[in-house]
Formats: sequence, C-alpha cells, structure tokens
Amino acid sequence: MNNENNKDEVVFDVKNVNLFYDNGAKQALKDINMKIYKNKVTAFIGPSGCGKSTLLRCFDRMNELVDNSYRDGIITYNGEDIKDINSIYLRTRVGMVFQQPNPFPMSIKDNIFYGPRCQGVKDKKILNEILDESLKGAALYDEVKDILNKSALGLSGGQQQRLCIARTLAMSPDVILMDEPTSALDPIATLKIEELINELKKKYTIIIVTHNMQQAARISDYTAFFMLGELVEFNKTEEFFSHPQDKRSEDYITGRFG
Amino acid sequence: MKSNNIQQNALKKANFKTKIDLLVKFIFAFLALICACVVIFIVIFILVKGIQPFIIPDGSGATQNISDFFLNPNWLYDGTGGMSYMMLATIYVTLLSLIISVPTSIFCGLFIVKVCPKSIKEILKTGVQILASIPSVIFGLFGMGVLKPIVKGFANAVGMQTFGGSSVLTGVLVLAFMTIPTITLVSITSMEAVDINLSKASLALGASNQQTNYKIVLKASQSGIFAGTILGIGRALGEATALQMVIGNGGVGWDFLNVFNIYRTLTTTMLAGIGEATGIKYDIRFSLGIVLIIVIVVTNILLNLLKNYMTRIDKGEPKDKNKIGIIKNIKIYLEAYVHAKKN
Ligand SMILES: Nc1ncnc2c1ncn2[C@@H]1O[C@H](COP(=O)(O)OP(=O)(O)OP(=O)(O)O)[C@@H](O)[C@H]1O
Ligand SMILES: [Mg+2]
Repeated sequence: MNNENNKDEVVFDVKNVNLFYDNGAKQALKDINMKIYKNKVTAFIGPSGCGKSTLLRCFDRMNELVDNSYRDGIITYNGEDIKDINSIYLRTRVGMVFQQPNPFPMSIKDNIFYGPRCQGVKDKKILNEILDESLKGAALYDEVKDILNKSALGLSGGQQQRLCIARTLAMSPDVILMDEPTSALDPIATLKIEELINELKKKYTIIIVTHNMQQAARISDYTAFFMLGELVEFNKTEEFFSHPQDKRSEDYITGRFG
Repeated sequence: MKSNNIQQNALKKANFKTKIDLLVKFIFAFLALICACVVIFIVIFILVKGIQPFIIPDGSGATQNISDFFLNPNWLYDGTGGMSYMMLATIYVTLLSLIISVPTSIFCGLFIVKVCPKSIKEILKTGVQILASIPSVIFGLFGMGVLKPIVKGFANAVGMQTFGGSSVLTGVLVLAFMTIPTITLVSITSMEAVDINLSKASLALGASNQQTNYKIVLKASQSGIFAGTILGIGRALGEATALQMVIGNGGVGWDFLNVFNIYRTLTTTMLAGIGEATGIKYDIRFSLGIVLIIVIVVTNILLNLLKNYMTRIDKGEPKDKNKIGIIKNIKIYLEAYVHAKKN
C-alpha cells in the first residue's frame, strides 16, 4: 500500500495509530499507518464520519483538546515523536485552517499579527513584513491592502478563508493542515483557494481533507482513502484514481456509494 | 369542491387570526402603558414631594435654602452632609467598589468558564447564582459582623482610626461583595457565548491557553462584561440598607475622601432615621431621591453610549477610525455653518 521505493522526504510518519472517543466507547481510527511527504499535497478522502478530521487533528495535537479521548501508536514529526514535542511549539510549526472561516473579531491586520505577537514579536517593521508576505502568499493582498484596519468580519466568506490561510502563513509553518477549507465557499472562491494550494506546496507541506474527489484529483500528490476509521488505500493520486487497488476505493471513486 | 371549502375555511381562519393578533397587540400595549404610567407616577410623585421643602414651609415653618442644599457642608436639619458632597460620595463609593469588583468578577468568570475542571464548574456557577440573589440586608449583616472588625484591625495596623469599623472602606467592601456575583454571572454568560472556534483557531496558531483566554475570550466578551458592570453599578448606586449598616452615616464635606472616615451617601441619608423623621426632615429625603434618580439616569445613558462604542470595537472596528469620523463630522458641520453665515 505504501510506496516503498519513494524518495520523497518524510515529514510525518504515522505508525499503528488507534484513536478512541468517549473513554474508549467509540473507536474513530483503527491501526493507521502512513507517511506524509515534504512539499507535497496529501488529500484525505472518504465518507462522512470515517475519521479524516480526527487524524488531521492528531498532527497538531488539537485532538487532545477533546475530552475523554485517547490515542495510541506513534506519530513522528521529522523523526521525533510528537508526544515529546511541546504542543504550543508544534502548533507554530504545523498550522491549521478550519472548515468554517473563523477570523478573529479584529482588524485584518491584527488577525495576521495575532500569531507572531503571541510569540513575542513586537517590532513594527518585522510585523509589517510578515503582513505583506502572508497576505501576498494567500493571494489576498490586492483585495485588502487598502482596508487593513477594517474588521475582518466584513470580508466575504472566501476572503475570510484566505485571511485564515494568511494568518497561518504568518507563522511561517512547515506543514499546513486544512479541513475541508472550501466546503463553505462558492466555486469561484474554491478555485482561488485551489490555485493557492498549488502555489503554496512549493514552500509548505499540505494535508487537506476534502469531500470533493475532483478537488483531490486536481490538487493533491497523494491521496488517502478512509472508511469507518480504517485507512483503506494510500497512494500517489494518479495511481489512486487510475488504478485503485482496493475494491472499496474503486466503488467510492466511481460513486457506487458514499 | 373540497379544495374550495378548504380555501374558504382558511380565509375565515386567517381573518380570525389577524383579529387575535390585533387583540394580543392591544393587550401588550395596554400593559406597557400601565408600566409606563406607574413609572411616570413615581417620578412625578417624587418630583412634587422633593420640590416642596424648598417652597412650602413645613409644620414648624421651616424651608430648605437651595444653595445650602447644594453646597453647605453643614447642611440641613442635623448639621451634616451637603447634597453635592453626598452625591460625590455616592459616586466615589461606587467607583471604589467597582475597582475591586470588576477585576475580581472577570477573573472569577474566566476561571469558572475556562480554567476550572468541568466537574466543579456547574457547582461554582450555582454558587454565584445563589450569591447574586442574596438580599442586601444579609450582605449588610456580613459587613457588620465580619468586615467591620477586619477594617478596624487594618486601620489600626496602618495607624488610622475608624468609628468602630464603620467607614467608607467598609461600605466599599460590602458593595464590592454585593456586585461581584452580578458582574460575574453576566460575564460568565458572555464568555460562554464566545465562539469556541475562535479559541481553537488561537490555539492552533500556537497561542497558549492563557494568551487565548486574554486575547480572544476576554476581548470578544468585553461588551458583555461591560453590560454586567452596568448592572453592578445600578445595584451599587441604589444600595441603601447594607451600606447604611456599615458606613456610619456621619461626616461632613470632603471627609469621604479618607476611606477610614464615616460618611453618608444619598441612599443612606434617605434611609437613616426615616421612621422618626417629620416635616422637612422627612420631605427633604424626596429631594435627595430626585438627585439619585438624576445620577442613575445620567450614568446609565453615559454607560450605554460607551457600551455601543465598545460593541463597535468588539467587531474589530479600530478606535482611531471612529475618532476620525467624529472629527470629520464636526468639520463638515463647521463648514456648513460658515457657509450659511456667509450667505
Ligand atoms: N469530539 C468527539 N467526540 C466523540 N466522537 C467524535 C468526536 N469527534 C468525532 N467523533 C466521531 O469520530 C468519528 C470520526 O469523526 P471525524 O470528524 O473524524 O469524521 P470525518 O471523516 O471528518 O467526517 P466528515 O467528513 O463528516 O467531517 C465519527 O464517527 C464521529 O462521530
Ligand atoms: Mg471532518
């Protein structure tokens, strides 16, 4: 299932991960093994409730905030077990974009400054450099350069989502996790974000959860297909969509269920 | 045929419903009118009674001199007070109590909502709710029994004198204790209403829990906290019983500035000895009532203006932008005025 003779550099290595909710009453992930490669886009697909978001949240340890849940197995980040990495530090390296755009109720500028300021960056010059870079990185600069002091809540949904991406870029992370970042957006805004992802993967490693198989095929290098908490198939995207190895993958791709 | 029937019935029913709606509207309007009338009646009653001492001599032929009422520290029938001083003391005591109660309430709220284990959260919330509903006289007793000795000891320790523990400071503490539950409760509600996704976004950006609490939760709930503060101010300004039990009801002029002195506020002066008061000594309390009403109305208007302004800030509108807006408006008015003058 995993590409053994793959030369891409591994960022995350997931080994035998099981995850339980409700004090073990519900198993959301079953013995997951997979690798996330550097500067690649990895797409997670699968029917609703199969554990995509759960696994995604494991990478930045956000899932530990869920009460009564626990995980076993090992996830390494650049070779180090993430359990041994300070979660606050880990989250500065591994950014996350949520399904619903969730800008802070502050000005556009302050949204971008939020992360760096939390790390103690006070220098106006550095902050402004970060501001320009991250807004340009998220392809939002031209639209908001004149309204930086306006409330971020006044932006359209698509702009808000790109602001959330920019906010993540401001931390200059290593990996960006995206949980269905386009599901709340119209086709044009979706296209913009997809173009953006193509651009971003030059610098960042991206993991994206999506319900849209065309989207996965368009933007990702690797695709992981989940069902009922199991990783059914993980392969290069082209391979996955042209020659699915598993019967269930094939059924899902061809739309026979899910 | 059948559908025709249904339509006719529907029309009849709709007409009936419209009539009911109208009736209900009428009843509500009537009830609102009664409430308004009661309020207006109370205000007029107090106005009439309160103006009386200045114009109509009482049984013993005494009237109240207006400038004495406002300014004379040795005011009135028993040689204490001076309305303006009492009014300032009322505001002073309220402000001092807020300095204690607002930060305490904010941290209490933050602790209950964000920090303490979920298992004791509900218990603490219920505790605060119970505290908020305790009548003021109980707080007064608490002040007499517990706070007075403490304040007395504290005053002695710092080389000051109190009147057996009765002092402005004791009053301030009692008011703080009374307003903390109110402000905390409203703060809790507004902190709980802060979108959990904002906190998650903050954590996902590598902010610590504390940074998230201060920069996101507190910021997004500040207008709610402010609303709680307004309620607290209302309670503190209007409190009479508890305050009267601990503040000593004496003192003249600027005495209140020293928190170890005894003093009197508008409310405690109204309440103290009202049972034995006759003639002008009785009626003058209504004059103080007018002043209190004015103080409360003015503070409320000011605070609400401030609150609207803060809600705008809450939404992320920058402060300076608003100021520029005001300046711009003033400029436009001025220009228009000059223009009009010219023609
Ligand atoms: N906080 C939670 N507490 C308990 N169970 C949870 C929690 N979050 C998710 N689950 C359960 O874990 C399973 C996987 O959920 P998850 O959100 O990861 O699915 P998903 O693949 O992202 O689905 P979707 O495509 O609908 O977003 C689901 O059955 C869900 O009910
Ligand atoms: Mg999901």
